[in-house]
Amino acid sequence: MSFITDHILSWVTFLPLAGACGIFLAVRRPNAARIAALVVALADFVLSLHLYFHFDVAMAGDQFVERVAWIAGGRISYHLALDGISLFLVLLTTFLGPLVILSTWSAVRDRVTEFMGFLLLLQTAMIGTFLARDMLLFYFFWEAMLVPMYFLIGIWGGERRIYATVKFFIYTMVGSVFMLVGILYCYFQAGSMDLAEFMTLDLARGPQTLLFAAFALAFAIKVPLFPFHTWLPDAHVEAPTAGSVILAGILLKMGTYGLLRFAIPLFPAGAAVLGPWIAALAVIGIIYGALVAMVQPDVKKLVAYSSVSHLGFVVLGLFSLTTAGVVGGIYQMLAHGLTTGALFLLVGMIYERRHTRQIAEFGGLAHVMPIYAAVFMFVTLGSIGLPSLCGFTGEFMILLGSFTSVLLPHAKLLTVLAATGVVLGAIYMLWMYQRVFFGRLAHEQNRGLADMNLREIVVLVPILVMIVLLGVRPAPLVDRMQPAVEKLLEPLAREMVADAEASPAVLSVAAVPEVLPVPPEGE
Amino acid sequence: MDLSSLGAGFDLARQMPALLPYLVLAGGGLLVMLVDAFVKSRRKDHLYMLTLLVLLAVVVTQFTGGGVREQDLLGGMLASEAYTRFFTLLFAAIALLTATFATAAFDRDGDFRAEFYPLLLFATLGMMILSAATDLLPLYLGLETMSFAVYVMVAGVRGSARSAEAGFKYLILGAFASAFLLFGMALLYGQVGSTGFAEIGESVAAGSVDVLMLSLAAGLMLVGFGFKVAMVPFHMWTPDVYHGAPAYMTGFMATGVKAAGFAVLARFVWLLLPLLADVWFPLLAVLAVLTMTLGNLVALSQTSIKRMLAWSSIAHAGYLLLAVLAILHTARGEGLATRMEAVVTAAGGGLLFYLTGYAVMNLGAFGIVNYLGRGRLDEADSISGYAGLSGRQPIAAAAMAVFMFSLAGIPPTVGFIGKFYIFDAVVKAGLIPLAVWGVVNSLLSVYYYLRVVVVMYMRPAGEDAYDGRSWESTFAAGVLALIVLFLGTFPGVLHRLAAATFHMLAF
Repeated sequence: MSFITDHILSWVTFLPLAGACGIFLAVRRPNAARIAALVVALADFVLSLHLYFHFDVAMAGDQFVERVAWIAGGRISYHLALDGISLFLVLLTTFLGPLVILSTWSAVRDRVTEFMGFLLLLQTAMIGTFLARDMLLFYFFWEAMLVPMYFLIGIWGGERRIYATVKFFIYTMVGSVFMLVGILYCYFQAGSMDLAEFMTLDLARGPQTLLFAAFALAFAIKVPLFPFHTWLPDAHVEAPTAGSVILAGILLKMGTYGLLRFAIPLFPAGAAVLGPWIAALAVIGIIYGALVAMVQPDVKKLVAYSSVSHLGFVVLGLFSLTTAGVVGGIYQMLAHGLTTGALFLLVGMIYERRHTRQIAEFGGLAHVMPIYAAVFMFVTLGSIGLPSLCGFTGEFMILLGSFTSVLLPHAKLLTVLAATGVVLGAIYMLWMYQRVFFGRLAHEQNRGLADMNLREIVVLVPILVMIVLLGVRPAPLVDRMQPAVEKLLEPLAREMVADAEASPAVLSVAAVPEVLPVPPEGE
Repeated sequence: MDLSSLGAGFDLARQMPALLPYLVLAGGGLLVMLVDAFVKSRRKDHLYMLTLLVLLAVVVTQFTGGGVREQDLLGGMLASEAYTRFFTLLFAAIALLTATFATAAFDRDGDFRAEFYPLLLFATLGMMILSAATDLLPLYLGLETMSFAVYVMVAGVRGSARSAEAGFKYLILGAFASAFLLFGMALLYGQVGSTGFAEIGESVAAGSVDVLMLSLAAGLMLVGFGFKVAMVPFHMWTPDVYHGAPAYMTGFMATGVKAAGFAVLARFVWLLLPLLADVWFPLLAVLAVLTMTLGNLVALSQTSIKRMLAWSSIAHAGYLLLAVLAILHTARGEGLATRMEAVVTAAGGGLLFYLTGYAVMNLGAFGIVNYLGRGRLDEADSISGYAGLSGRQPIAAAAMAVFMFSLAGIPPTVGFIGKFYIFDAVVKAGLIPLAVWGVVNSLLSVYYYLRVVVVMYMRPAGEDAYDGRSWESTFAAGVLALIVLFLGTFPGVLHRLAAATFHMLAF
């Protein structure tokens, strides 16, 4: 066992890759591919549980570290590690993995072996992205993630799948290549690709701002932050259900994770300059996403736009630069992964039965599909942040953090505006629910719809359990996240102090916010 | 060197091991011709086998020439050093794959072109001489040996007007480029009074030459080199010639001829650096930017895969020029000597690494194009014909997808790592705007490379779908795809070798 536990992160990361290779090479029959993929994903989940149970809560820094020299005489290394932030994102990934595979059992009938192979490849890339502590390794996983997703949308997607997948690929690349130049610049300055070495860089404010912009662009496109979100509705609508679940559940979190892990701590001065603008964009995204979601005739598109709104909250929380706000942001990432993942699964189930997602085509479904309606209601409530369900905890902490933020100019105004997004969220979700499930059964075709079968229930029950658990017991998560978050925010605090000392006009640390630039609405 | 002393003053017997690869290639080429003349057989597999043996023998000579490294062969005409060994091995590998792909095409057509094999060996010989030349005369000889063989091979598809047109076009324009090169050489010789690189380098370092004349000479020679590596604005021939030539030849030109061009360009730039950096840097910088941008922009709209790859090869020449620029820029600045050494090594290593990686991925792509063709007059040229390839030929489609992702520079492929090394050197040299422009360009290129993958994987097969049957080509492409992935994940050994090789050349 110690062979596994000594290299647990590598095992968790590369087990799906090994499974994918095996499936590509050896498996021909669709059912064999499904079962093999499910077994691999379950095994990966079990392995990842080891991380949770052996995680040292008291430790703020990296755990389970694996580091081997890779290229350039060790200046670039294979460096994986885990902290309280990565832990739960990895768990979310391995948790959704088997559920997604199970959900595609009957939905995907065409080229099943390839489909399963790409799903597993994607899982390796996603886990690797969360664990990499070397910038080149991170970039490897970050870009490698695009390829399987590109195939998943492009081969198994809807009618306009090619347009959507190329748009997805190119949009993401746009941000990434500038980040690559940024990484190269830091590599040159630091003489190493290791994230810890990058952290020790002492760059002037000008380069920091540019570097922050280069990194933030890559991550903002991935989040997606308004106005870089236009690829998302296309990708979601055209993607197969499994693709949508992974896209919303995990891939979008790469953006917010990247902001938190790299952009903010590496370039604190840059974050101080540009952060308020990004926070403002996040608030615009919250309201804009909600308003657009409200008028969507297509359920899937509605959920897609709701992601723009929800992820706006996460970004606002991160750029509040308070511990509460950032922890809330991570919490919201997990909650959104669960609820939106579940919503896409539910939408996929009805689409499989009716081959339409138009709200107008439904109505009164609660009469024919009572279990489905109940589960949908539950997830909807989780999504709009009903207290005691997972969505509430994150949103509350974010709003608390941003309201009390001293570093964010106009924090109170931004928070109030963001809070309207909560109300709007309730409106568009419940209104959609009402039109789909309540009232008379308006369309004859819907009369014969079968309710959820056992497999579909098995897929959703674990998610429902987690939605409740995250709602009522946030402590095990928050306890593990908080030290890591505080450690990440440390450079920023140092930067603020240094700023205050450098500026003769400001003598006390408490007055630091005064020297921060004011966003446009203040002028 | 002084021309009158040619042939005197060196010990031929002692230099023989280092001269062996040239003799093996030249003798092998003649042998293949003789065998073809005297052994009557309808199938020509034995010629292919013989060619492979000759190339393998060349590879072997590179590991048995112990003790003769770092010496000037034939009285300063050729060098024998790590740099030449690197390129000899690269050229031998390229020729080997080209012979394999060509044989598959001949097999398919039932039309064996026996003259192809000796020509291929002679072209390889020319490329080797070009990369090893330390004197203007062998440089020119090597260039022409290579070029004449390539002209004939391009034009050699009997009954194809397009192939004949391509060969003729290449010949005429190539002759022009050679004339420019020769004129530049004459000016240089007039200034220095010697054709040897060592003497030229000394004169340049001593500042005893007229800078204006030297710039003019170097500029004229740049035209000649720029033509061979398909640099804008000397690229005009590329799309037509690449399109008209048979696919296996296009692959050879895009990788072998380009690598040979860069081998001599890098050596030459390094030679004339101290004096010319100020003149060449801005000029080459503009040309590199134009080369990348034009190549990628025009490639976007191509419907023929060979034309698309032709324009993309122009763009790749632009990326390679970035490495040359990093060397030039570093030499120009007054930075610390140790820093300069580090940056030049990084840039030169990146250049050699990229040339190797580009050879692997591009030969692979042309190998697939070659093998899907229906006949010598009906090649697999239209991108739309690749529709649904993943269903009919999963291995070929997967390999092609790997090559496309690699050419686009997506990890974990050698194309990404190669770009990483080059851009890294460019950033180290302080040329961040050029690096930014480079990545913007590789972004542009993603679109047209992806289109091939889209067609192969996401569109149903149409009426004119290509299909091929050649296990050798499938196998070769599969192996190349694995090499692309392997070098993309574990580039360390090759890159160390490349960097050490360039370091030995430069310092």
